[in-house]
Amino acid sequence: MSASMYPAERMIVEVVAAILCFVIVRFMVKPYKLTREGSYLGLPLGFTFLGMSYALAALVYSPLGFNPELMWLPQLTRTFAFVFLATTYLFSNRKSKSSKLLGETTISLLIIALAISFLLAFIAPQFAFADYSKANAYLRFFNVFCLAYIAICTLRSHIKNPDPTTIWIPFGFIFLAIGQYSLLFWYIDASLSAFVGSQVVSFVGLAIFLFVAYRTFYSSDKKK
Amino acid sequence: MKTISRRDKLKIYGDLLSALRSEASEERVVLTRVQVRINVPFDRLKSYITELKELDFIEDETSLKLTEKGNQYLREYKKILDFMKRMGLIYQ
Repeated sequence: MSASMYPAERMIVEVVAAILCFVIVRFMVKPYKLTREGSYLGLPLGFTFLGMSYALAALVYSPLGFNPELMWLPQLTRTFAFVFLATTYLFSNRKSKSSKLLGETTISLLIIALAISFLLAFIAPQFAFADYSKANAYLRFFNVFCLAYIAICTLRSHIKNPDPTTIWIPFGFIFLAIGQYSLLFWYIDASLSAFVGSQVVSFVGLAIFLFVAYRTFYSSDKKK
Repeated sequence: MKTISRRDKLKIYGDLLSALRSEASEERVVLTRVQVRINVPFDRLKSYITELKELDFIEDETSLKLTEKGNQYLREYKKILDFMKRMGLIYQ
């Protein structure tokens, strides 16, 4: 099964995932708005880029826009999204001034790196597009690594302060990681079940984030 | 530097409003008890209370009752802290 198969179905899946991400961003920006700490900016940026990657993938798989060279666009954006999220978890629990400065600098550098990557890929193409599949596998492996790191951070936080409300988010990240891992299999053996499974678990992961945010900000209001 | 001082103040305002709200059930608010709860020097506590009054978060500096705006701030503050906890992020 190649990347260009089932374009209509893929497009619908990607559009719905993009909408979910953009709704989640609304909640993820709140910690930054409260604290004004640059390291928390990784959360809204991460989900914004994740949503953008799904939206770009929908564009790539649309009947009008399918072009293998454009497949770099959603892939790069998605990888940067997970790096932004990982950066937040890497620096948010460190409270020294130098760590905060380092966190803010890293976020700024990532934005610059993202801009340069796009310039290199699309304004003056420097990548060998024929190697997309190989690069895609490496990037997905890196995505799994970033998501596994975040899942460990959130699990560690849950173990430190056990609470039934804090167990959901590690599962959200684990599901996203499994989604990326399944896509690795899809690229290796073109298995339809790996592809469908990756889409389903990614949706479940995003739904968990939305569920947690909704429960925090709205369900307590309704109780009152 | 500005960011750090703002963060600190937000946290202190949140803790102070929370302490004042729980003190509201008592006959009268004892400032030294509030001071111990939020762990700030007394003179700074007085200046924070003045700032809360200026922000319209408390009714006046003697009754120290939270206004609707103060209660709303405290609710939102607690929700965001709860969200950060659920996300596995610790805000200190």
